Amino acid sequence: MAEKAIRLGGESTADAIVSAVDAMYTEHTFAEKDFALKHNEDEISVDTNFAAQNFWKEALIRFFNKKSAVLGLVLIVVIVLLAVFGPGMNSYTYSGQDLSQKNFAPRVPGIEQFGILDGSEKMSTTTGTKVTNAYQEKDKLDVYYWFGSDLYGRDIWTRTWEGARVSLIIAVAAAIIDMLIGMSYGLISGYFGGRVDMVMQRFLEVANGIPRLVIVTLLLLVLQPGMVTIIFALMLTEWVGMSRIARAEMLKLKDQEFVLASRTLGAGSFFIIFKEVLPNIIGPIITQVMFSIPTAIFTEAFLSFVGLGIPVPQCSLGSLISELYNSFTTHPYQIIPPIVVMSLLMLSFNLVADGLREALDPKMKSM
Amino acid sequence: MKKYTLKRILTSLFTLLAILLVLFILMQLMPGSPFNDEKLTPDMRAALYAKYGLDQPIYIQFFRYVGNMLRGDLGVSYNISKNTPISQLIQSRLPISIQVGGMAVTLGAIVGLVLGILAALKRDTVVDTIATIISVIGVSVPSYVFALALSYTFGFKFRWFPMLFSAKDIFGSSVLPSISLSMFTMASIARFTRSEMIEVLDSDYMLLAESKGISGPALIFRHALRNALIPIITVLAPLIVDLMTGSLVVEKIFAIPGVGSLLVTAIQSNDYNVVIGLSFIYSAMYIGIMLVVDLLYGIIDPRIRLAKGDD
Repeated sequence: MAEKAIRLGGESTADAIVSAVDAMYTEHTFAEKDFALKHNEDEISVDTNFAAQNFWKEALIRFFNKKSAVLGLVLIVVIVLLAVFGPGMNSYTYSGQDLSQKNFAPRVPGIEQFGILDGSEKMSTTTGTKVTNAYQEKDKLDVYYWFGSDLYGRDIWTRTWEGARVSLIIAVAAAIIDMLIGMSYGLISGYFGGRVDMVMQRFLEVANGIPRLVIVTLLLLVLQPGMVTIIFALMLTEWVGMSRIARAEMLKLKDQEFVLASRTLGAGSFFIIFKEVLPNIIGPIITQVMFSIPTAIFTEAFLSFVGLGIPVPQCSLGSLISELYNSFTTHPYQIIPPIVVMSLLMLSFNLVADGLREALDPKMKSM
Repeated sequence: MKKYTLKRILTSLFTLLAILLVLFILMQLMPGSPFNDEKLTPDMRAALYAKYGLDQPIYIQFFRYVGNMLRGDLGVSYNISKNTPISQLIQSRLPISIQVGGMAVTLGAIVGLVLGILAALKRDTVVDTIATIISVIGVSVPSYVFALALSYTFGFKFRWFPMLFSAKDIFGSSVLPSISLSMFTMASIARFTRSEMIEVLDSDYMLLAESKGISGPALIFRHALRNALIPIITVLAPLIVDLMTGSLVVEKIFAIPGVGSLLVTAIQSNDYNVVIGLSFIYSAMYIGIMLVVDLLYGIIDPRIRLAKGDD
C-alpha cells in the first residue's frame, strides 16, 4: 500500500501515511513475560544413525569376517572362562600339597578306557624305556589328576588355571593403566604442541632409551616382589608406545574443523582433548591395548623365569613354566599345560588385535 | 644432516647419563655398607671413607662414579665370584653371547626376507597363508617356548645337537639357541617385508620396469626388493633389543656361559653390583644400536634426513 502511495503521490504522501500509521499503533515496550522458551525438545531429533551405526556396525562385520580374529576371540573366551571356573572344578587347591602323590601322570575319567591319559607314563631308564603307572603302584585308583601332579603333589590342572587367572589379571591391569597414562601423555603433548611438546618428547626419548629389561629388573630388586610390583613395573615400561600413537592421532585431528568449532563455542583445552578428540581415536587405542596384553603376559613370564616373579605358593603361568622346567626331561607332561595355555593366550590376543586393527582402520596396511 | 646427527648423539649421551644417575641412586638405596665391621674405630672408618672418596659431597661421588663406569671399571662381584672385577667376568662371556645373537639375527633376517618375498609374490595363495601362519606364531609365542621345545625334541629325544652348551662344539651347540632366538626376528621381518613388497609391487615404477621388458629375478631383486628394504632397517633395532631380552632366558635354558645367563645368576644370587654393572652394559649397547640404526637410516633415505633435520 505504502509503496503504491509513494509511487502515486510522491514523498509527502508517504510521510503522511507513515505518521498516520504511527499514530494508530503506540510504541510497544517488551516485558519479561513476552519471552519464554518454546519447549520443542520433542520436535527436534538429532539423527545419530549415520554416526553411530555405520562405523561400529561395519567394524563389527569386518571383524567377524576375519576367521583368525574370531578364532582368537573364541580362544580368549574359553581360556577366561576356564581361568575363572577351572580351579573350582575339582577338589584340589592351588597350594595344597600331598607328597605321597607326587609326579602322577595325567589321568582323566572316561578317556582312560581308551588307553590314553590313563595315568601311565614312559620312563627313560639306563636300560631303555618302561611304562609305569603311579596310580596303580601306589594303590590310588580313585584319585584323578586331569593334568597330572607336580613334584610336591599339587594338582597341575588347578594350578594352570589359577596361574592363567593371575597372569590375565596382571596383563589386563597393566594394559589398562598403560593406556590411561600413555594416552593422556600423548594427547596432552600433541594438543599443546610447541614448547610443551618439545619437553615432553625429549623426556619420552630418554625414558625410551633405557632398556625395559633394565628398568623392570632394577625395580623388582628394590621393591618387594608381588602382583602389585609387577603391574607397577609393567606400567613404567609400556606406556611409551601408547603415548606415541595418541600423539600422532592428535596431531592429525587437532587442526580439523570440529575442533575449531568446539573451541569457538568456548570449550576449554581439556574438554577438547578428552571429549572431542578422544572418542575419535578410540579405535587405534583399543587396538594398541590388545597388542599390549600379550606383551605384558610375556614380560611377566620372563620375570618369573629370571626369578623376579610372583612369590610362592601363588603362581602365574610364567612361574609355573619356570618351576616345571626343572623336570621337563623326566616328566614332560607337567610343563605342557602352562606352556600351551600361555602360547594360546598370547596367540589369540595377537590375532584379535590384528583383526581389530583391520576392522577399525581399513586403510591401514597389515599382513 | 649434521644438525640431526648432533642432536641424536646428544640425546643418546643424555640418556646414558640419566641411566647412570638411576643406577647411582639405586646403589645409595641398597642396604648395608662395606665398612660395617664393629672392630673399626671411628678414626679408622673416617680414614677408609676418605680413601674411597666417600666423605666427598654426593655430586662429586656421582661424577667419580660416572668416570669409573665410562672407563670400564664396573666394580667387583660380591657373591658369584668374590672380588672378581665385573669387567673381567663380562669379557670372557661377551663373545659367546654376541656369536649366538649374531647367528640369530642373520638367520632371522635371511629366512624372514625369503618368507616375506615369497608371501608377497604369491599373494592370496597357499604360500601366503603358510607364511602368515608361521609369522603369527613366531610373533606371538615367546622365544623360550621354542627353546624348550627344540631342546626337548632335537636335544633330548633325537640327540642331533647338544642339549646343553659344550665348549668342545661351540658351533653345534649354538644352533638350537640361535634358532629359538631368531623366531621373533624372522616373523617380524617376514611380516614387514611382505607388506612393504606388496606396496612396492603395486607402484608405478614397477609397472614401468615391467613394460620395459624386465622380468624375473632382476625385476624382483633390483627394482622391488631394493626399495622395500629401506623401511625394514627401521624394525631391525627394536628386534635386536628384543633379542637381548630373549637371550637371558634362552642362555639359561641351554646353559650358555654368556652375559644373559650371568645376569640371571646375579639376580638370583642377589649380587647387586653385577646386576647394576650389567644393566649399564645392556643400556649402553641398546643406546648404541638405536643411535647407529637411526643415523644409518638417515644416510640411506634422504627424505628422513630432511624431515628430521628441520625440527
